[in-house]
Formats: sequence, structure tokens, C-alpha cells
Amino acid sequence: MADLALRDLVKTYDKTEVLHGINLDVHDGEFVVFVGPSGCGKSTTLRLIAGLEEVSSGTIEIGGTVVNNMEPKHRDIAMVFQNYAIYPHMTVRKNIGFGLRSSSAPKIQKEARIDEVAQLLGMTDLLNRKPDQLSGGQRQRVAIGRAMVRDPAVFLFDEPLSNLDAQLRTQMRLEIKKLHQRVGSTIIFVTHDQVEAMTMADRIVIMKDGYIQQVGTPSEVYHTPANTFVAQFIGAPAMNMIPGEITNNGSIQLETGGLIDAGLAARSGQKITLGVRPEDLSEHAPASFLEGSIAVREPLGHETLIYVNTSVGEFVAKADGRHPPDVGATVRLGALQENLHIFDAETGSTLA
Amino acid sequence: MNVYRNLTIKQKQIVWAWSFLAIPVLFYTVIRFYPTGNAILISFQDWNLLGKRTWTGLDNYEKLFADPAFWKVFKNTFVYLLIGTPLSLIVSFFIAYNLDKTRFMHGFLRMLYFLPFMTSAVAMAWVWRWFYQPVPIGLFNNFLSTFGIPQINFLNSTTNALPSILAPAIWAGLGFQIIIFMAGLRAIPQSYYEAARIDGVSTWTVLWEITIPLLKPTIVFIVVFSSIGFLRIFDHVFNMTTGNPGGPLNSTKPLVLMIYETAFSSFDMGYAAAQTVILFLVLLVVSLLQLRILRDR
Repeated sequence: MADLALRDLVKTYDKTEVLHGINLDVHDGEFVVFVGPSGCGKSTTLRLIAGLEEVSSGTIEIGGTVVNNMEPKHRDIAMVFQNYAIYPHMTVRKNIGFGLRSSSAPKIQKEARIDEVAQLLGMTDLLNRKPDQLSGGQRQRVAIGRAMVRDPAVFLFDEPLSNLDAQLRTQMRLEIKKLHQRVGSTIIFVTHDQVEAMTMADRIVIMKDGYIQQVGTPSEVYHTPANTFVAQFIGAPAMNMIPGEITNNGSIQLETGGLIDAGLAARSGQKITLGVRPEDLSEHAPASFLEGSIAVREPLGHETLIYVNTSVGEFVAKADGRHPPDVGATVRLGALQENLHIFDAETGSTLA
Repeated sequence: MNVYRNLTIKQKQIVWAWSFLAIPVLFYTVIRFYPTGNAILISFQDWNLLGKRTWTGLDNYEKLFADPAFWKVFKNTFVYLLIGTPLSLIVSFFIAYNLDKTRFMHGFLRMLYFLPFMTSAVAMAWVWRWFYQPVPIGLFNNFLSTFGIPQINFLNSTTNALPSILAPAIWAGLGFQIIIFMAGLRAIPQSYYEAARIDGVSTWTVLWEITIPLLKPTIVFIVVFSSIGFLRIFDHVFNMTTGNPGGPLNSTKPLVLMIYETAFSSFDMGYAAAQTVILFLVLLVVSLLQLRILRDR
């Protein structure tokens, strides 16, 4: 177990810079999830930490040691791959034991360790099977077992759940989280799925185009997003973005016609974007700022998503699951002051 | 048309399948199965290609097994197989394994290795034949003589002739085997190697425990394919030893060349057919054995 520190980490391929100076501290035993759309650099960062790619500039420290020039095997890390990378011609026992091949420990000790890991993952009775006799979830567990067997300081997970079906994914998510609570190792987990990030992480690192957008606990990134990208990436359906401008008396004049008292007189004349999450939009809010007719309803059982057509575009809100308003009905929606997010229209970063 | 319309989907599929299969089935029957059956029949007969066929029973086989030339040829054929197949397998794997990691002039190098496979075996055999000539003609002996190394009698020696012919035969097939190996290597997911790198196992372990086991289907294919090729070796031998077909004292003669001579020089079709049947059985047994041994253990 160890801390991990990234300092001004840069990665370039030929002339293209794909990571532009990543700074991050991961504490001992922390579960950190890197999340972002494809091509954001999250997997590259993970591969740099693993030592599968060479660092262009900056440093990676594991347990206080700079590991830039160390071979992967000397970094005391283990990695679980998206396609599991378990060997089809070896039994589960051999696959798990493969991580111990380079260790000098006596055979009995290695066998005991394999059994211990197998028991921890509940696959003692699968040890003599070949991977093609296993289900997707079991293969996933073998891959995790192979990573665990060496008892590494840092676990790296590269989108390990994306090959599983939805139900299994939810189950494995929980298992990995429980495993972390039991074993307590440092985990870096890469995913493009914000739900995985929210449910598993101690802290989430949201990335885009090779930059970190925000680092924070799930609650922080959800309730106080640093910019419009984070605001729209985290949470489903995505946050509504309504263009507007700050008036002379510090209120917000929305293009939908709504006027919100914001007390931002110092920024009068500035173009802003108002962010409101679908669940915060309500017909019963003290003041409404959005009016339109319902174009589509999406019933989800416990709630219904309603898509509201307005003069400046379509917005989504959550309505009651049992008695949603009819399609075509006109609704007037508003939100509580504390649930409004105000962003700079140009830079996208959060104001106030 | 009504009859067809009333068939079930399954029956319609069968009708379609068989109408497509009809042509290859017909082709195979006329071009393959009929001659094969006929050859087996002729092997029990005496026939000089023009006269009447007379039934002789097992005479041809008895003559064959009593013929020292046959056993010499039989042995040669297996020498071609037992040296040629493993050697070409190892060499082509070695080249493919390293070429796969080479980025510099990758396409050009691959083309160079593939070139012999596209070249006519006859032309190649004659070029190699020239290589093997004594001073002042032959390339190899000229090269050796510049260093004062004594002449090597390549094609006229009973010990050197067979390996001298085997060398270009291996070289000719290499390009194909390299391409197949490279395709096999490419099919192994990169993450297997990355996982091994993180686990810190040696390159040697990766080669023996990951690469080679995962290449097994490729290896089986190449072994069977090249074994059949070496068991049927003919054109290289024929073209490199014209004038004295089969080399000095039959030292390079393979089974196919013997069959050719028996059939088209001696016009002893029955005897040639008996040899062909033996070759067929050898090919069958060797291929089945290899498939059995190399399939999953």
C-alpha cells in the first residue's frame, strides 16, 4: 500500500500532446476513479502509472519513489485489463499464479497464496477450470485475482466492467467496492461510465482532452461542478443549460424570458449559462423561469422524464411517476435558488 | 414452382444448399474421386498405358516392397519431411517473431521474404543449381575459393546432394509460413503481453508460455501444410538433377519422382499406381497423426 503522486505529467505521441500536465495526489488506501469521454487521456494516464507507456515529462511517484524509469514489474502495481487478459490455455490456478512466476517464494507458499486469493473471491471450486468454461463475471474475478495475488501497493483497473452486461456490471461494481473495503489497497479505476465513477469512488477525477477538469468526492462533483463540462458529464439525464445575461441590478435575465434575482450586480452585463438539474426543476418552485409545452414523456416507473419545448430549445425535467402531466400540456418550471448553477458563458467555469 | 413454394424453410435451404454444392461435388467426383479410385484399381493391374490391363493382384506391391530402390526413395522422402518441416517451422517462426517487432522497413522486408514463394520453382531450382556449380561457375564455390577453402561437391555427392536440394525447397516455402505466423502473432491480444510485463515474467517465459501456446492453431496448420509439401517434393529435385534424375545413386530421389519415372519413362502404370497408393497412405497417416498429436492436449 502506498501513496501515488503525479506531478506535471505530460505525454506526447510524436508531436501530439495528449496529456497536458496532470497533477494529482492519491492517498494510501484511496479509491480514485478517472472518468471522462473517450480520448480524454484517462487510459493513457493509467498506462503511464503502470509503466506500459513512457512518460514524456513530469514525474510519477509511488510510495515516495519516482518510478518514471522503472519497469512495470518493479513498480509494485497490478493491473486489470478491459478484456481481462487472462490466458485461455491456462487453468484459473495457473492464471492467478502467473503473477507469482517471478517471485522467489517457495512453491508451497505460492500455492497457499493462490488458494487464499481464490477463497477471498469465492472461486475455490473453479481453480481447475479453463477460462472458456467461465462466465464473464467469473473471468473478471480471475483477472482481479491475478492482480491481488502479488499484494501490490496500487491496483490499476482499466475499464474492467465495460465488457459485462448491465446486471453483472452492477454486481461486480459492488463486489469491487466491497473488496476494496476489505483489502484496503490504493485503487485507480478508469471508466467512461459516470455511474460507475459515482458509485465506487472515494474521489473522482474528471478528465477531458488531456486536462483534469475537477477532482472531488462524488457529492462535490455532483453538487458543485467546476464547469459546464463536469456539470453535464456527471448526472443523467444531463444538467439543463439555459443561456442568459446578468442585468444591471444583479439579476439574471434568461433567454427563456425568466428573471432570477441573483445579487450579482458586480458582474452586470456578463453573459452566463444557468445550469439546473432535471430533478431540481419543479412546477411548485416559488418562482418559475421556464415555460413550454411537453414534447415527449419517458416513464421510468418511479419518475417520469418530461421534455419541455421552449423558445430557446428543449429542456428536461423530472416529474411524478404516477401522475405525470400530459404530452402537449403547458408547464411553468422553476427551481430553488440553492439548486442553481451559474457558469461563465465564455469559459464555462463556475461563477460565485 | 408450386412444389417449391410448399416446402418448409428448412427444406428450401436444403434445396439451395445442394444446388450450390452440385458443381463442386460433380467436380470432385470427376477430377478427384474417380481418378483416385482408378489409381487404386490400376495398382492391382499391369498396364503400359496403351495395351490391355491385366489383373495381377498384389504383384505390384510385392515387387515394390522387395525393391531396394523403393526403400531408398522412401527413406529420402522421410528425410525431406523430418528435416524440412521442423527446420522451416523454426526458421519461419524466428523470422516472423522478429519481423513482427520490426518497424523499420517492415513492408519491404516482408515482401523480400515473400518473394521466393511467388517465384516459379523451376526458375528457382535452376538458379540454385547454378549457385552449386564448381569453380569458375558456381557462386558458393567461387566465394569459398576466394578464402582458399576447398571446393564443396554439392549436387554430385551422395551425402551433400539431398541437403543441397532441401535448402532451396525450405527457402521457397518460407515466405508463406512467415506470413501465416505473422497473422497468428498479430491475432494475440496486446494486453496479454502487457499483463505479463506487469507481472514481471521473463521474455523467455512469455515466449514459451504465452506466445507459442496461443500460436498452436497456426503451428498445426503450418506443420500439416509443410509436411504434405515435403512429402510431395518433386519440382526442386527434378529440376536440380536433370540429366541424372534423383541424384547420384538415387541419393535425392523422393517418392513422387520415382512415381513419375515409373509411369512416364518405364510406362509401368500398375507399378506407379502402387507407389502412388503408398504415398497417399503415408500422407494420410502423417496428417492424421499430426492433427491428433498437435490438437488440444
